[in-house]
Amino acid sequence: MGQEEEGKFREGSSPCRVRVRFHMAAIIEGNNVYKSFGGLMAVNDVSFQVHPGEIMGLIGPNGAGKTTLFRCLTGGYRVSGGRFFFRGRDITNLSPHAICVRGITNTHQVVKPFSDMTVLDNVRVGAFFGRGWVKGEVKDATQEARRVLEFTGLLPKENFLARNLTLPDRKRLEVARALATRPEVLLLDEVVAGLNPTETDRMIHLIRKMRESGITILMVEHVMRAVLGVSDRVMVLSFGEKIAEGTPQEVCANPGVIEAYLGKGLGGR
Amino acid sequence: MLRSRKTWLYLAGLIFLLWIPFSGIGGGYLQTLGFLTFLYVALSTAWNILGGYAGQTSFGHGTFYGLGAYTTSVLVLRGMHPLATLPLAGLVASCYALLWGYPCLRLRGQYFAIATIGVGEATRLLMLNLDDLIKDNAWLKGVLHEGVLTGGATGLMLPTPGDIHSYAFGFYYGAMGLMFASLLVSWKVKNSKFGLGLLAINMDLDAAETLGVKTAYYKNLALMLSAFMVGIGGSIYAQYVFYIDPQTVFGFPMSIAMVLMPTIGGIGTLMGPVWGAVVYIVVQDQILTANLEFGDFKLSLSSLHLLIYGGLLVLIVLFEPKGILGLHKRLAAAWAKRKKENSGKDHPPAGSG
Repeated sequence: MGQEEEGKFREGSSPCRVRVRFHMAAIIEGNNVYKSFGGLMAVNDVSFQVHPGEIMGLIGPNGAGKTTLFRCLTGGYRVSGGRFFFRGRDITNLSPHAICVRGITNTHQVVKPFSDMTVLDNVRVGAFFGRGWVKGEVKDATQEARRVLEFTGLLPKENFLARNLTLPDRKRLEVARALATRPEVLLLDEVVAGLNPTETDRMIHLIRKMRESGITILMVEHVMRAVLGVSDRVMVLSFGEKIAEGTPQEVCANPGVIEAYLGKGLGGR
Repeated sequence: MLRSRKTWLYLAGLIFLLWIPFSGIGGGYLQTLGFLTFLYVALSTAWNILGGYAGQTSFGHGTFYGLGAYTTSVLVLRGMHPLATLPLAGLVASCYALLWGYPCLRLRGQYFAIATIGVGEATRLLMLNLDDLIKDNAWLKGVLHEGVLTGGATGLMLPTPGDIHSYAFGFYYGAMGLMFASLLVSWKVKNSKFGLGLLAINMDLDAAETLGVKTAYYKNLALMLSAFMVGIGGSIYAQYVFYIDPQTVFGFPMSIAMVLMPTIGGIGTLMGPVWGAVVYIVVQDQILTANLEFGDFKLSLSSLHLLIYGGLLVLIVLFEPKGILGLHKRLAAAWAKRKKENSGKDHPPAGSG
């Protein structure tokens, strides 16, 4: 279809950056993305592809630019350079709501529930304003919200005010709200951080369940057990640059990654 | 049963309100007070759509009130029927809202509030000096009517109708209609997709945006709707009193009043602005006419009424941010608890004895 040709055209237009492409069309593609804050290069020439139906992990030490990359992708920040493509269409610098109705949404690292609304209403916002409603897939926002709450296991608490939820439930609510928009791609920003092992397992189970329902997932995570256990591929950022990409095993064995996390060994001299 | 009793109570209240002008009790005093109350309930409810539901505190709603009043006065002086100017007054206010709302609503929280104060004052000064600005301009001169457009600080005087009693009589019901219309709009908004979006914006702008809410568009829409209703309120006021000047209709006290009423009553609720407006008007009325006498020493309270509102506002924000409705809820809960405890004492639960 058009997106193949468009892809070729882009490659042709910058001959110095021709690289071997996967045969599978990427659902999300970032091309040479830059983001600087003043003199600080938070994201420096990062290119990546996410394929439909996969779970891709994004890891890196603190301040590596993971969340910044997320925010650039979902419209929270304007990029300083580079492009993002969703199914071959340019989505660079669109505003967050426009990105959401195209089918990409994210959860927030610091949970942002609508505190004085009930859990059900929180999720109804997603159902009402998300892609499902715009495309007419969702007819009744309340019904859709209940369905999502059941999927995420929050249904028993539908009438709680969001402010009264515990942290694990707030993280769940964050995911539920995003799910209610019927995304094709879901960007999870540290949904496991701060959870105890049992809750972490429940969240990982939920992430797998979402993937099975056909959602592509890109997740930022610090908890290695979670991200390595669940991801198909992992991308590693350090000081804004991409230093490795591959399966969890490959990435773990990568000397550059070990160095970024643990520092240079003395024996390496 | 309680529910039906409440319905009857409301119905009785409504009949009483409808009956006031016929009864002539208080010698027309109640009728005037009623008119003002209805008008202010409408204003308060309109402000609440932006300030309460969407959480964008505006200190510049006086501009819409003034624009509504001036639109009507200017058009009536050029021979238009007063009632026909009502929608135009709303539209002018609404367009003006878009004009400054579009840039200002990009600001968040207190910065928006500060910007609205600036806009309000700027508009008042503009209306004070508009005639001077256009009187020498070759193109704009045409809009002057007997040498005036807005009349500067002197304001505009409308022709007085012959039968002033039946005129006021009609406006009593007109204002009542406006009040019910604004309440209907407010209720509709609250229970719609639009209202849910506004509430989401109120709670967390970023999260709302992520979930697909067009926050800028919705905020502007709320401001325009609110401005439209306030503009109509201003128009009705101008028709009722026949005389307007920038200090009254564009003045800062007017903007403050629209912030105070919903805050007193319960911000972001449907009925809060209503009770807030009632309290506001009644208190204002009592204070403005009250005098304290201590022997030879006399003190007129009329100069103090803003001070009293200020104090009231501080108390509400400190102790009951949800206003009268919050207080009512709290008292009702305490009452129910006490009742439960009492009945528990009288009739010990079976099995304990």
